[in-house]
Amino acid sequence: MELGRKIASALEAATFERVAGVGLANAERNHSRIARSVLEISETPLGAGEAAVVVGAGPSLHRRRSLERLRASGFAGTIVAADGALGACLRAGVVPHVVVSVDPHPERIVRWFGDPALRTAPADDYFRRQEMDPVQSLDELSANRALVELVDAYGPKIKVAAATSAAPAVVERCEQARMEIYWWNPMYDDYDKPGSLSRRLWKMNGLPCLNGGGNVGTAAWVLAHAVLGKRRVGLIGLDLGYAPGTPYEKTQYYPELRELLGDRYREAFIHTENPVTRETWFSDPAYHWFRDVFLEMARLADCETINCTEGGLLFGPGITTAPLDTFLETTASTARKDGHG
Amino acid sequence: MPEFLKGNYKVDARIEDKAASADSTDEFEKKALSRLGGSICFVSKKSLIWKGETDGAGTKDSQRA
Repeated sequence: MELGRKIASALEAATFERVAGVGLANAERNHSRIARSVLEISETPLGAGEAAVVVGAGPSLHRRRSLERLRASGFAGTIVAADGALGACLRAGVVPHVVVSVDPHPERIVRWFGDPALRTAPADDYFRRQEMDPVQSLDELSANRALVELVDAYGPKIKVAAATSAAPAVVERCEQARMEIYWWNPMYDDYDKPGSLSRRLWKMNGLPCLNGGGNVGTAAWVLAHAVLGKRRVGLIGLDLGYAPGTPYEKTQYYPELRELLGDRYREAFIHTENPVTRETWFSDPAYHWFRDVFLEMARLADCETINCTEGGLLFGPGITTAPLDTFLETTASTARKDGHG
Repeated sequence: MPEFLKGNYKVDARIEDKAASADSTDEFEKKALSRLGGSICFVSKKSLIWKGETDGAGTKDSQRA
């Protein structure tokens, strides 16, 4: 087995190792702030009809100008964004109904909401290095200031579906921006097994557990259909891979792969041709695992999943591929027929 | 080691505890791999949402999953 795939096969257990301890600690720290369950979110005003668009922060979002096209279409359905895509949404004039946040990292994630406390460019090059949000790579401080203003302005219109694992700094920032927070537990393990952490969490706070699929984009897709009940879910910016020509040094897990594998780090990348665009995208072990997991979940999900990224590596059984414009036109035409367009 | 098995001599060969060595390698690999993991878990072969237990009726899995 190739090195990248071999590492990917170990990541279900490795992710538990990475996030369970800090996630549970954050759940305890967030406990006193929990006022609403995520199950209440479907009773609040969202978009019309049974369609939703889930927005990830992958490179196709910028390459295909997906948000600008979404906005121009006047899409009337529900928009669910991963936290990493919030800045791009607001800059494009798209105000998501729901933003999903899961990552327990103590410092990084608050930046997706604009960090009012950021005064100097941080030593951590996480945001500058990657192209998840290209604006961050130009001038981090100016980009952050602009995002603080945008989130402050639109925060009261946005609901946050926060995992109890979310860093307290993120929760504080959302409260400060007057965003309504709806809570859920990440599913850490098999809730039917003795000593299950998921069950322990549920007993502690009574919140439902969502199977997160390894990353916030997949968690946003799970939320769109398993919680909000949306039956047609279009994906944009959910590439689960890196665009052709991206230097390995600019990928999310580069420092970790370099440290783990030394000069063999290149062997961990997996190159795959997109069957529609014929471009060759690539993944690292983490993104390869995310893709495998998504495909496994898509087979079980009771919704139609339409990949409108026009790129990336998310294709296979259970997923239909369509240009974004086709998805938007079909959705609008269905809404007109159903009388809520 | 029981007292009556102890010798009054020393051996030149260094004996490695293979079990301990394997454990520490496993631990290193586990820690190294954990840095490559995702930001949220995935639990295979389970539903996409679990709403907890009903009153004596077992678990409340989403029918959508």
